[in-house]
Amino acid sequence: MSKTKHTWKILLLLHLLLGVYSLSGVFSKKAAGEAFLSLRFCLFYGGIIFLLGIYAIFWQQIIKRMPLTTAYANKAVTVVWGLLWGIVIFHEGITIKKTIGALIVMAGIVIYSIESAKEEEKKAAASIDEKASEKEATEDE
Amino acid sequence: MSSLGYAAVLVFGVFISSISQVILKKAADKKYTSVIREYLNARVIIAYSIFVLATFMSIYAYKGLPLSFGPILEATGYIFITIWGLLFFNEKLNAKKALALLLIIGGIVIFSI
Repeated sequence: MSKTKHTWKILLLLHLLLGVYSLSGVFSKKAAGEAFLSLRFCLFYGGIIFLLGIYAIFWQQIIKRMPLTTAYANKAVTVVWGLLWGIVIFHEGITIKKTIGALIVMAGIVIYSIESAKEEEKKAAASIDEKASEKEATEDE
Repeated sequence: MSSLGYAAVLVFGVFISSISQVILKKAADKKYTSVIREYLNARVIIAYSIFVLATFMSIYAYKGLPLSFGPILEATGYIFITIWGLLFFNEKLNAKKALALLLIIGGIVIFSI
């Protein structure tokens, strides 16, 4: 019971992080409207680098606490954030075709993520086995 | 420039940032004599320079593209990473991954037309 609760908390934190990460796209789009290297451009650019830094740090912490598969697959949600910020902040339109296209891309990301996370976990397990048998071999000597 | 041109700039940015990831991964596999060298060496510096260039390219692309295109086009990164995996890291492309890449490409086309 408490373990499930914990998992939900981490999943929530992951989505909070992905939401924050998606703001780096908003800052990029904002920077695009400013003169290159103007003060406002630099502020937005600083914002992008700051958000990417935050993302990198917390991503490392989160993947330690949840299965890689889940973490990778949930990244597909950034497509939704892009659509949402586009509509809310930049008044972009949404069509049926765009919705279908986005859902197909997300399905692709989820399937790909599940497969590559499986491979990475297999590789990690193999290298642990390798190290263990190396250790045994040296202890035998 | 046409929307397609701006889209090409964004995808090229994704392409070069996938190269920077390959360089970083290769750098991480190497052994270094000190912690400083682990971070301040040619590979890591080149990788981060490429990464900065990629961020500028995506900003430039957003001059002509709606924000919603960003994460959609960034999904091309999965294609590039697959290619680098096959070429440099002895990874294999299984049927499910190939299907996933086809979905990503198809989805991008439907989203864009």
